[in-house]
Amino acid sequence: MGRRYLLIKVVCETSLSDEQLLEALTNSVRKYFGEIGLARIDPRLIKFDHNRSTAIVSCSDGGLAQLESAVALISQYLEIPLAPLVLRVSGTIKGLRKPSVR
Amino acid sequence: MAEMLKIAGYSTVGLTIPTGLFRDRVSSIRRIFEREGLDTVIRIDLASTSRLELLKSLRRYRKAFDLVSVKCINPRVATVASRDRRVDIIFFDGTNRSLRFSHSLAGLLRGALELNLISNLLGQPNSSTFASLVKVAAIAREHNVKLVLSSGSRNPQMVRTPLQITALGSALGLSNQETVEGVTLAPMSIVARNLKKRRPEYVEEGVRVVAPTQR
Repeated sequence: MGRRYLLIKVVCETSLSDEQLLEALTNSVRKYFGEIGLARIDPRLIKFDHNRSTAIVSCSDGGLAQLESAVALISQYLEIPLAPLVLRVSGTIKGLRKPSVR
Repeated sequence: MAEMLKIAGYSTVGLTIPTGLFRDRVSSIRRIFEREGLDTVIRIDLASTSRLELLKSLRRYRKAFDLVSVKCINPRVATVASRDRRVDIIFFDGTNRSLRFSHSLAGLLRGALELNLISNLLGQPNSSTFASLVKVAAIAREHNVKLVLSSGSRNPQMVRTPLQITALGSALGLSNQETVEGVTLAPMSIVARNLKKRRPEYVEEGVRVVAPTQR
C-alpha cells in the first residue's frame, strides 16, 4: 500500500525534539481515531528540521484526511501551546518541494 | 496573526470588527494584513438577544460591512436571521447545547451556515461536539445549504491551513467537493455578491439602474 507525505510547519514557543513531536502526533491520532485508527493511519516522522521548524511526516494512503484532521486538532503538548500547520501533501518526499494542488 | 495566516497560505481573510471601532483604527488593522499580502474583508458578528434588536442592528450596520453574520443565541433570533436576506452567514455557539441547526432552520435559510471547526473542536473536545457537528453537516447536505467552513480563530495558535480545514470537513462526512466549496468558493461568492450589492447602480436582486450613457 502506498504512502502519503505531509510537510508540517510546527509553530511552538519552545523547540520540540523528534520524539516529542511524534508523541504529540500519535497522541492526537489516538485521541480522535483510537488505536485501530492509529494502526490504519500509521503516522511516521521522516525528518524534523529544527531550524526551519518543518517536519516531514508520512502516513498510509487511506489515512491522509484523518491524519490532517488529527494534526489540526493539536493545540498543545505538555501544556506548551503548539500549532502545527500542514503546508503541503505529496505522494513522494521530492514532491513536497513543489506547491501542491488539490 | 497576519504572519501566521500568510504561512498557512491564505489570500483573503475575514476580520471581525467590533461595532464601536473608529474608522482609522479599522484602516490600520487592514494595513497590517495588507502588508503581509492578504486581502481583507470586514465582517460584523451580530449577537442580538431579540428579534427587534437584530432587525435594528441590521438596518444600522448592513451597509457599513462587507459581511454580516449572526450568532444564533436563541430560536427567535435564529429564525429571523435565517429568513432575512441581509444576513450573509449564521453560526451557532458550540457551547450552547439547547440550540442547534435544525431541519426547520435549514428550510428557511437564505444565507450560508458557518461551521467554526477549530474553535468549536478545540474549545470542548468531546464526542458530543463531534456528533453535533456531524449532524449539522448532514442536515446542511440534505437541504443543500451553503456551508462556510472556517477555523474561527481568535488567536494565532488557532490558525490552521485550508488543507486542514477541508480534512476536518471530510471527517464530518462532507464530500471533497463540498469541503473545497466551503473553504474557498462559498465565502468568495458571498463577498463578490455583497460588493455587487454595494455598487450605486444596484437596486434589488435582478434590478439595477442603467444610466442613459450606458444604453
